[in-house]
Amino acid sequence: MTDTVDANLRAMLADVLGLGEDRAAALTADSGLFGELPEFDSMAVATVLTEMEDRLDILIDDDDVDGEIFETYGNLLEFAERKVRG
Amino acid sequence: MDEQIFRLSPAGSPRATILFVPPLFEEANRTRRTLVLAMRALAGAGFAALLPDLPGQNESLVPLVEVDLERWSDALADSVHGIDGPLIVASLRGGALIDHRARAAAWWRLAPASGASLLRTLLRARVSADREAGITSSIEGLQAAAQTEALLLAGNRLSSAMIAGLAQAETRDVAPLRTVALGSGEGKIAGTPLWLRAEPGEDTAMARAIADDIIGWSRTCGAI
Repeated sequence: MTDTVDANLRAMLADVLGLGEDRAAALTADSGLFGELPEFDSMAVATVLTEMEDRLDILIDDDDVDGEIFETYGNLLEFAERKVRG
Repeated sequence: MDEQIFRLSPAGSPRATILFVPPLFEEANRTRRTLVLAMRALAGAGFAALLPDLPGQNESLVPLVEVDLERWSDALADSVHGIDGPLIVASLRGGALIDHRARAAAWWRLAPASGASLLRTLLRARVSADREAGITSSIEGLQAAAQTEALLLAGNRLSSAMIAGLAQAETRDVAPLRTVALGSGEGKIAGTPLWLRAEPGEDTAMARAIADDIIGWSRTCGAI
């Protein structure tokens, strides 16, 4: 499951941020997202949340969302995996 | 008020006319170039291709806050008056929510989106931008406010009617209809979801695939 969520998330970031497969594959847990990648603006944050719901078949309560989730790829992955586990 | 329509015509009389209904809001900007590449491919294959401005979008002089989904559906229906020969309406994403009122020989939809999903992303963008500005807002709070006032969502000032319409909007039944998604295999278009892209991109191969799929559908649906 973890591998699928990870692969899904990388593909989604590649689509939303236009990273290309190589840059998406090179993301590590410490890779900075919001504030680090210029493409990652507030509209991209919104798009990422809605796409995560569609692609991972989860519902995200926006009260659960704080800025930390988007600080690093590792934080975003941990959040997604927690949601998929339910 | 008449809106601008971008039109590409083939040499000679067209085999059919393809009316593109663009995605809504920012998604329209992200896909416009690739759509126009698809229109060029269609014109090269003997089709007329039209891309109208929706009132309040692109170069329209109408303030966006004055329109809603009903007005967009009506504007599209008006825009096809006087078109000779078979007409196929080709819509993308949220465009599929407003493509049903135009009278056509057939419809084609790429990756149709629900209004609720589009609205949720717009509301989230507002909450995210508010947070950056040190303002606390919530989706529920914004939805409550939208019942009585227009809201500025990701740069779009949307009326109560528009927001209420989006919250409910699903694609309507039309026939004959071909719906395609992104991916590989039958019923799929190979490409990337450019409408999600934070920075606009283009995809020449996807434009070609869109044109080819519409040309194939124009034959199998019996429109030409």
